[in-house]
Amino acid sequence: MPLKILVTVKRVEDPESKIKVKPDGTGIVTDGVNYKMNPFDEIGVEEALRLKEKHGGEVVVASIGGDKSITEIRSALAMGADRGVLLKHEGALDPLLVSALFQKLTEQEKPDLVLLGKQSIDDDQNQTGQILAERLAWAQATFASKKESLESEAEQKKQPGLVLSADGKKMQVVREVDGGVETLEVSLPAVVTVDLRLNKPRFASLPGIMKAKKKEVKEIATASLGVELQPKVVVKKLFEPPKRAGGAKVADVPELWKKLHEEAKVV
Amino acid sequence: MIDKSSASFVQSLCMGQVLEEMLVPFPTMKKGEQEMLEQVLASVNQLLAPRQKDFREWDLAGEMPKEFIEELKSFGLFGLIIPEEFGGMGFGSAAYSRVLQEIARHDGSVALTVGAHSSIGMRGLLLFGTPEQKKRWLPRLATGEMIAAFCLTEPGAGSDAAAVRTTAVRDGNDWVLNGDKLWITNGGIAQFYTVFAKTPVPGDGGKAQLTAFVVTSDMKGVSHGPHEDKMGIRASNTTTVLFEDVRLTADHVLGGVGKGFKNAMKILNSGRTGLGGGCVGGMKSLISLATKQAKERKQFGQPISSFGLVKQKIGDMVVDCYASESVVTVVAGLIDGGYEDYAVEAAISKVFATEALWRTADEALQVAGGNGYMREYPYERVVRDARINRLFEGTNDILRLFIALTGINQVAAQLKDVSQTMKGVLADPIKGFGVLSDYAKKTAAIRTGLVGDNRGFTKLHKALEPQAEEFEEEVREVAWAADRILRKHGKGIIGKQFATRRLADILIDMFVFACVLSRVSAALQEKGEEQAARELEIARVFARRVRHSVRGNLRRIDVNDDELVKSLADDAFEREAFGWDAR
Repeated sequence: MPLKILVTVKRVEDPESKIKVKPDGTGIVTDGVNYKMNPFDEIGVEEALRLKEKHGGEVVVASIGGDKSITEIRSALAMGADRGVLLKHEGALDPLLVSALFQKLTEQEKPDLVLLGKQSIDDDQNQTGQILAERLAWAQATFASKKESLESEAEQKKQPGLVLSADGKKMQVVREVDGGVETLEVSLPAVVTVDLRLNKPRFASLPGIMKAKKKEVKEIATASLGVELQPKVVVKKLFEPPKRAGGAKVADVPELWKKLHEEAKVV
Repeated sequence: MIDKSSASFVQSLCMGQVLEEMLVPFPTMKKGEQEMLEQVLASVNQLLAPRQKDFREWDLAGEMPKEFIEELKSFGLFGLIIPEEFGGMGFGSAAYSRVLQEIARHDGSVALTVGAHSSIGMRGLLLFGTPEQKKRWLPRLATGEMIAAFCLTEPGAGSDAAAVRTTAVRDGNDWVLNGDKLWITNGGIAQFYTVFAKTPVPGDGGKAQLTAFVVTSDMKGVSHGPHEDKMGIRASNTTTVLFEDVRLTADHVLGGVGKGFKNAMKILNSGRTGLGGGCVGGMKSLISLATKQAKERKQFGQPISSFGLVKQKIGDMVVDCYASESVVTVVAGLIDGGYEDYAVEAAISKVFATEALWRTADEALQVAGGNGYMREYPYERVVRDARINRLFEGTNDILRLFIALTGINQVAAQLKDVSQTMKGVLADPIKGFGVLSDYAKKTAAIRTGLVGDNRGFTKLHKALEPQAEEFEEEVREVAWAADRILRKHGKGIIGKQFATRRLADILIDMFVFACVLSRVSAALQEKGEEQAARELEIARVFARRVRHSVRGNLRRIDVNDDELVKSLADDAFEREAFGWDAR
């Protein structure tokens, strides 16, 4: 039963770059910062590819952003996705808007499954997937994971963690919850967000990168989608966490007590 | 307009001319290639970063496992410079060099395995192969189904490549190849060999010339020796390759009968940006290691990064790395820009980058102190790995002679014209006047710095004015020195290796300086003076370094201890020992 899968990728700051906040707090210093695909999205792309390898179908990768976001789409295409869509947008967005834009795209593309990273590592909001499912009135399963470890044989064989039912109408999703995992069954079409332990994403080979050059990437201006592009959540100011003050050594318990009582005022 | 088939920055420099448009603006890759390169680099890192422990083990074992080589193949690292139509990436020299840089940041042996294939192993086929030959082998070389090796060196033919004793003799339409090749990188894992053999040249009195052949490992009579036990790059495969009565059809001749020597040099020149990129990668990884180490390591109650002598080492590493990357990038830019006569510039990039890496590796180990000497840390491995670079693909000593002697070609040609004209000036006064007046003009330009065109850079950012002026002044002095050295030694210059080396060092300094200026200027223009302030500092430090070293070398042209040093060496040769014991 072939599956059409829409998977989203976001361009985020490489966590290995040194991130500095601009002195005026309006954003971060971008000079010298590297960018990459949101790691959770890489897992989403990998899962989509595995599902396609098992069941056939098509993997469409989508991103929202400026010209540079095409790099992340190309990365996903180099991993093996079939085609890309860039919703071109400059400026701030919040999860409400991101999900509204993806809703429009989903309505156009009509996939069986939308896969998203559970959150992006820049804003860490963890909302887009959930709101998107709500907007579409589709089933949702968040934090998809699997029972087998990432060292297991199933993982070695690149088996998908999401299990499609024999009739192709439902999908079983193992999700991480506090203290364990639970198994959900969602009817398709559905929105699934993926967690860290679902799979180990592949990286693009050089021939894959060459092939990706020839794959189609459609660009759509976000303004054309009929969404009011006014974010409701606005970042007012960024600042670095306060530097940790140095500790001090005390000679004995009475001195410790005194310091806790008089200086720290915690006892 | 500049003639791309013959223009050489360094040869013109010796004439007192600065061919600015060859170096300014600083070369950049095309946008499409740049984008693809970024993806390739990201993937290379994903492939190699998790392997740090393996690389250390493979170094100890002296071998990398077959499975890993298979992984490199399916990843596509053997197709970097092969055109897309044959299944490769179609990278130019700049992008290729950048990939090698990224690989070398992780491991020298891997960089060499990939580099020996693309830089020299199959490059002959790419440069001189017929369309049929390309169609036959390039697709398999691109996938790594065939790994390539370059077979030139023999026991008696190292730097003296013309002394090759491997022979190929005609037998009907075929050739029969016999001989042993030594220290062949990838020798034991290659399926495709570019082999240089002596062949009799028809109609040339039986005088043998070099010819390149394509030999594949499946042919009868091809074998290889055991993997050599080396000081460094231990996991890279090095063996002898033996050819015994190997029968080759005529379509295995690569680049024409008798053209082997010239073609071997062209392959080596064209492949130098791979090695240069590798050196830059090594330096970048050492700078990361050494700076972290220096901040963590505390002595006398403070991190050693706060000490001046440690800062001096790190600062020098940064300057060396920047300069190396600049010269390698410029040479790659010349190649990709369609210049054909870049042999001297490529040789300079090889000499400078390999020696800069050596200094950097040595000083990084010094910063790490006792830890640096322990196998548990990566420094000693990098030092061992780095040492080969000054030896192979032309020793730096031979390349220095080449740089100086080729550098002064135009000067020599002009002087020859002048001396012949002096003899024949009465016979042809009009032509004679032209030659003499050209020479007089050049001499006047050099001596006074007031006349003549192309005396210096004109398009550099204004913040670099003092450095550009210094450069111009030094060019005049160098040109004057080249003229003087040649008039003093004439043809005898070839035997004067002390003087030649000095001139080579001057030319190396000057060309690298020019490349640094071009790069810093581009940075200033692109990012503005504030953002490029550090790079301006690098230019200043490098300018001072060059000034000091060029001045010293110029002075020693006339005043030196060459004869004394030679006689001490001759005395030691006589004794075959050191002659004195303190009592």
